[in-house]
Amino acid sequence: MTRRATGPRPPADLFGNWELGLLVFMALLYAAGAWINPDFFGSSGAFLAVLRDAARYGVMAVGMSFVIVNRDLDLSVGSTAGLVAVGFSMFYAPAIYDLPVWVAALLSVFLGGAIGLLNGVLVTKLKVPAFIATLAMLFIGRGLVLGVTGGKTIGYAGKAQADAFFLMGETNGLGFNNQIFVLLLVGVLGVYALGRTRWGYETYAVGGNALAAEYAGIPADRVRIRGFVLSALAATLAGLMAVAQDKTVTSQVGQGAELIVIAAVIVGGASILGGRGRVLGSCLGAILVVLIDKVLREGVPTVRTVTVGGVEMQIQGMMQLPPGAVPAFLGVILIAAVLIEPLLIRSGLLAGFWATLRGRPPPRVGISDGIAIVGAQTRGTRSSAREVGATWLGRIMARREFAAVALTVVLWVIGAVLRPDFWFSLDNSFNLLLAFTEVALLALGLTFVIANGDIDLSVGAVLAMSGAIAAFLMKEMGVSPPLAAVAAFTAGTLAGVVNGLLATRARLPAFVATLGMFYVARGIGAWLVSGRQLSGFPEGFNLIGRKLIEILIETGIAPAPGTIAYNVAAAVSVQTIVMAVIAVIAAIVLGKTGFGYAVIATGGNQRAAEYAGIDTRRVRFVSLVFSAMCASLAGIVYIAYLRSFNPSAGLLRELDAIASAIIGGASIFGGYGSIAGSLAGAAVITLIRALLSLQLLLPDGTSFVMPQHWVNVFIGLILIFAVLADIWFRQEGLVERIRAALAARRTRER
Amino acid sequence: MSTVPVVEMHGISKTFGAIKALHNVSFRLMPGEIIGLVGDNSAGKSTLMKVMTGAYQRDAGEVLVEGRPEQFRTPHDSRDSGIEMIYQDFALCGNMDIAQNIFLGRWPRRGLFIDRRRMYADAEAVLKRLKVDVNSVFQKVESLSGGRQQSVAIARAISFDPKVVVLDEPTANLSAMATERLLETMLELKQAGVAQVIISHRLTDIFHVGDRVMVLKRGQNVGERQIGDTSEEEVLEMIVKGTPQEEASDI
Repeated sequence: MTRRATGPRPPADLFGNWELGLLVFMALLYAAGAWINPDFFGSSGAFLAVLRDAARYGVMAVGMSFVIVNRDLDLSVGSTAGLVAVGFSMFYAPAIYDLPVWVAALLSVFLGGAIGLLNGVLVTKLKVPAFIATLAMLFIGRGLVLGVTGGKTIGYAGKAQADAFFLMGETNGLGFNNQIFVLLLVGVLGVYALGRTRWGYETYAVGGNALAAEYAGIPADRVRIRGFVLSALAATLAGLMAVAQDKTVTSQVGQGAELIVIAAVIVGGASILGGRGRVLGSCLGAILVVLIDKVLREGVPTVRTVTVGGVEMQIQGMMQLPPGAVPAFLGVILIAAVLIEPLLIRSGLLAGFWATLRGRPPPRVGISDGIAIVGAQTRGTRSSAREVGATWLGRIMARREFAAVALTVVLWVIGAVLRPDFWFSLDNSFNLLLAFTEVALLALGLTFVIANGDIDLSVGAVLAMSGAIAAFLMKEMGVSPPLAAVAAFTAGTLAGVVNGLLATRARLPAFVATLGMFYVARGIGAWLVSGRQLSGFPEGFNLIGRKLIEILIETGIAPAPGTIAYNVAAAVSVQTIVMAVIAVIAAIVLGKTGFGYAVIATGGNQRAAEYAGIDTRRVRFVSLVFSAMCASLAGIVYIAYLRSFNPSAGLLRELDAIASAIIGGASIFGGYGSIAGSLAGAAVITLIRALLSLQLLLPDGTSFVMPQHWVNVFIGLILIFAVLADIWFRQEGLVERIRAALAARRTRER
Repeated sequence: MSTVPVVEMHGISKTFGAIKALHNVSFRLMPGEIIGLVGDNSAGKSTLMKVMTGAYQRDAGEVLVEGRPEQFRTPHDSRDSGIEMIYQDFALCGNMDIAQNIFLGRWPRRGLFIDRRRMYADAEAVLKRLKVDVNSVFQKVESLSGGRQQSVAIARAISFDPKVVVLDEPTANLSAMATERLLETMLELKQAGVAQVIISHRLTDIFHVGDRVMVLKRGQNVGERQIGDTSEEEVLEMIVKGTPQEEASDI
């Protein structure tokens, strides 16, 4: 077996031009940083601190590389790291379980591995799209972390002194933190695993063309599950590194890490469409993104020279961003990095430029719609192709909405049984309707997007951004209410335009484009608010958020108190009416017009719709813009009702809205969706939230309320179950399949 | 030449729900023979081949490979028996290079790591055997033209040393020159004793390389001709007007 095959020398596969470019760029960035702010960047200590903090993200990026090269995405790494850190701390802390350190670490690895396995099984065996499964996992994990810790810090510095485990987070004799060693080790392992082993080659094959890989005998499902497990284990290690360094844990560990890690992998040269990427690039990407993150957070002292009346004056200032604003930049970097691939690499722009510089003919441009992309499109169309043949399509459509309506009734009755004294009160009805209005508004727009086969993850963030802009303009700039509302609406619409352009012109998957917008919009919102108390708007503006009865009283046409008309007017607020009007229009457009049919056709089979002459890009663009419009409207209404802007506006609302549409009969793969269904779905979600936060009077006289964090865990679970039920009962016809299998067995027995 | 058919199928039937895709179809392929499978869309050509390779499970009938009855569960089973199928979309990974695609899923290894030198050297050897000209085995498949991509798919197929190669619409996406080259390759494979089935709409291609042509219509066999004894017009008429020869196979 020592035969050394002779032949051509293989090209370099572990290190390429991209990595070289990253190194050069990083050196330039660092030099620029050192020139601008020698205090921060000049010392070797700062350099080592960047590396130390990058180490945790680098480790996660190694795992994420496998997932992204597989053409999957893992949004749950931050939550996994947080959950593991909290889990470890609870197992280890003397005040709680007080287990030996190695037992605690081992349990943590099992916990992390289990999360990865769960992600992998959901995505492969249960066919849930990766971004939905891991997004739900992100929120479930975060809710669990908050719920378990109760927001408190768990510390164990005393016990930690005796354990060698914590050396992992310490500075060693050579003067740098051991976490850098860990990154080096994991990085080298990852570089070789992805670049030179069968595991890695299988990953590239599955990411490039899963169908071809299957034909070639590669178990694609197992390869993808492996990716998720590796990613979760890397996140586990990162979580353990964090606790080894801090020897305490807060509920904040790992928060937002998924953004940095995904950005790092993409900046590192991986393609979000799968099949491309190297671990070394991901590690360098992690260092680069952390460096940028640090620059943004640290603040840069600036000295400007201004000439006033012939005298030069030096003005010293500090450029610093409010902490919430940093994600805005990272989101932009993420999108920019994703765009580099299609715009520069695949179009051959850079290579052509380089060839021209050297006076050579430009190289042949790869076929941009080549094999890799064809593979992706055949995935979703299978289920829709089968459904079209069914003559009882109408009946299915009817049943799709039926589930949501029935659930609404059942949940409402449950509420009435649990707390009859409270459930029927005017207050409760009003609050229910109000919460319903916000979810329903978002769900209306999302119905179009989801029916199109796209997704909009940014609705909650756009809601927050619009609210923040309106509040900021009125409060800080003194802009008149109508103008502020228009400006906020325009900004929200613009976010939708950007989403639409990225998804249709730059051909990014919608979940990536809107994930970027998710961070950008939320960051902008936080930036505008940044610690200010934005409340106390002109009364004219607040009218939008008021109850109908107050307006009627003001105009003097209110019905007498106690009548049904009065009660209805007291429960209904202006925004509910606005929402109802939009809902009616949207229902007509989706159900009765050519545009609505084009939306459904595009979602069902985009290629077929294109052959039929439908401008699918325009349809998808319009839907994404409409979704953002609804979200920004919800944001304006939100601050008008609360009369102040709260930075947590719209948080988790994307989950609520997506779940509403899915429960209401839309399919996550596109091709189905109805406004009536989404409204019923929004009612279900509203009622579930209300029931979960209902104060229960127990027989012994005490009462019980579920903490908010746990409610969020439930909403994440509900989203997963809704998607699973949609895929397995509606699309795959699980019930029919079982019935057919039973019938077949019966005939065989006969 | 041996007189045992390399593949034989009798009375194959296959239904998808209410649709009868294949009804009582028989098929015979001799070693080194090239048979053209023709018919309208939905005539059952691809279905018949997928039943042969085990991608579909037949409802009735039997499949014999070199006289032995076989029950292929998946295309991997039939690959072990020497049957290779080249799919219309080639089933390649565009992001990987030529050698990595030829050895897709069975990359040679040295210990834990992929033996890249051997992989590229072997790929070079396979391509030489096929006499296709690709600039280098390091080229990414997506940067190749349709014809070259197909060459890679064929190289992948013959690297298994198959007895039978099935080509599904091989010339559908090829230029005239690439088609010419493909037909030459097929004749060379025939010289090496590889039996081939070519599913195609282009009768000219089949008449150029084929020994025999088999016509399917609505899932039934409507006739077979030796290429030497027939004309494109006659085959075309069978495709359009042919009636099933059920009586013949029932007796």
